[in-house]
Amino acid sequence: MTGSSQAVPSATRAPRRGRSHLGGSRRRAGFLFCLPVILLEAGLLGLPIVQTFYYSFTDWNGLTSSWVGLNNYSQLFGDSTFWQVLGNNALLLASIPIAIVIPLAIAFLLNEHVAGWRFFRSVYFLPTAISWVVIGLVAIRFFAAEGILNGVLKTVGLGGIQTDLLSSEAGAMAAVIITFIWSVFGTNTIIFITGMATMDREVYEAAHVDGAGAWTTLLHVTLPMLQRFIQFAFILTLVTAFTALFSLIFVMTSGGPGFGTTTLEFFVYEKAFNTGAFGLAAAIGVVLFVVVFAISITQLRLFRSRVD
Amino acid sequence: MMPQARRRLNRTVIFLALVVVAVLMLFPFVFMILIANQSYDQYLAGSGFSLDSWRQLFAALPVLQELLNSSIVTGGAVLIILVVSSMGGFAFAKLGYPGGSVVFLLLLAGMMVPVQSIVIPEFVNISQVGLINQYPGAILVYAALGAPFATYLMTTYYRGIPTELMEASLMDGASYPQIFVRVMLPLSVPAIVTITVLQFIQIWDDLLIGLLFLQTPETRTITVGLATLQSGRMVNIPVLMAGSLASALPAIIVYLIFQRHLVRGLTMGIGK
Repeated sequence: MTGSSQAVPSATRAPRRGRSHLGGSRRRAGFLFCLPVILLEAGLLGLPIVQTFYYSFTDWNGLTSSWVGLNNYSQLFGDSTFWQVLGNNALLLASIPIAIVIPLAIAFLLNEHVAGWRFFRSVYFLPTAISWVVIGLVAIRFFAAEGILNGVLKTVGLGGIQTDLLSSEAGAMAAVIITFIWSVFGTNTIIFITGMATMDREVYEAAHVDGAGAWTTLLHVTLPMLQRFIQFAFILTLVTAFTALFSLIFVMTSGGPGFGTTTLEFFVYEKAFNTGAFGLAAAIGVVLFVVVFAISITQLRLFRSRVD
Repeated sequence: MMPQARRRLNRTVIFLALVVVAVLMLFPFVFMILIANQSYDQYLAGSGFSLDSWRQLFAALPVLQELLNSSIVTGGAVLIILVVSSMGGFAFAKLGYPGGSVVFLLLLAGMMVPVQSIVIPEFVNISQVGLINQYPGAILVYAALGAPFATYLMTTYYRGIPTELMEASLMDGASYPQIFVRVMLPLSVPAIVTITVLQFIQIWDDLLIGLLFLQTPETRTITVGLATLQSGRMVNIPVLMAGSLASALPAIIVYLIFQRHLVRGLTMGIGK
């Protein structure tokens, strides 16, 4: 939208005119107009954040709590399951380059505007509309022992490499990751297409005149100009991977087999609602919060240094 | 002549690659539609057409009630989000008050809070005020989760509207609420549509909040109903696919009508 590329910092650029009595009523109106969103967020977002931090130092069971200091954290860091869960998050993190490079490549192809490219764009973006629950339900049929993937392998004469992915820890995690990459493909492709659309045709023509080949243009012109969009897609994908896969995991594997597909966000749910350890779950919530927040802050800094 | 032929070959190869990707992306939808319209026996046999699975789905799940529940919860939350975010966006962009920019930054920070980090105290708080298994409980939680991003989008949008428009109305003696309703809101319809579509799809498709805050069959949303079918180890795949289709259809329809607005919402997030 217009002139909003520096939207993140500095909220208010209200008009500064001399009439101070008007200024007073304007500020009063400003506060009153903000009040609904402030009240909503203070009560239902701010308060639980504070509570999560507080209860992570208690042995809370949902009703009563007593202060236990750093007990939850030391219990957590001493638990091998926690490190396995953190490892699963690391696997998700490691898969993100794939979830970026494939859409990037396809966006380049789409940007050639061959026949029907608008139709393809719509089709690619379609999974954005359906829930993780539905995606998970279809994914199970795809990866199951008697499922579609193995059926296809058998048909094309590769029956020998048929596997029951969902029955092993590593296999189930691979299935979750593949499904995840499939799901974010459309969103990332749209982000890159948008980025390419903002580029000036003349830059390409200049590169062409200078004798730059397709690869040189790609590496030295297109990719650098897309940097902001690649960063944005990276962060969006990472936040999705760490905070939006609950439903997919719930439906596809319930975190198993074992803890094979349990990520931090699923671990919170599992500890709180299956074992009733609300205090410990709050501590996991804090860890997740810190991880996501650190990533987001890093991203904001990168953004700002690029834009300015 | 030669370069032109090569160019045509290139474009054909690109077209074919795009077709392959389209098949991969459409596959689950085709699978859902085909299997949902087969009976269990036909599914095992691998072909046929029957509405039997739909009948079984409606027998196993109160589908219509769950669709209604999803509509009430999604509609209520989107409405609250629109009201608070348009008011807040107007204030942040055009009015301002001491400390306003700090509040705005706090709201931006709110966009980054993972739901799972706050869901437990939220659950306990909502149950203490007696709103578990009541629509307003889930509606308020969804609204609070969606409002920060919506307010950010509205603020960005209102910044692009010339302040002179507001000043002219002030000169004519209009009050701020009048300016908001008569001048600003009509101008911000595109942003309102974008927010509505984004939030509709997000809330309609959500599982976690529905699962925790609306647990009774009478209040359950369609997404939760579907997830519990699966966890009940229902192995009748055609029935599951019929349920998937029923739950996905409203969001798909919204997507097909408003996809341009979805794309804009995404790119407004980049601040472009």
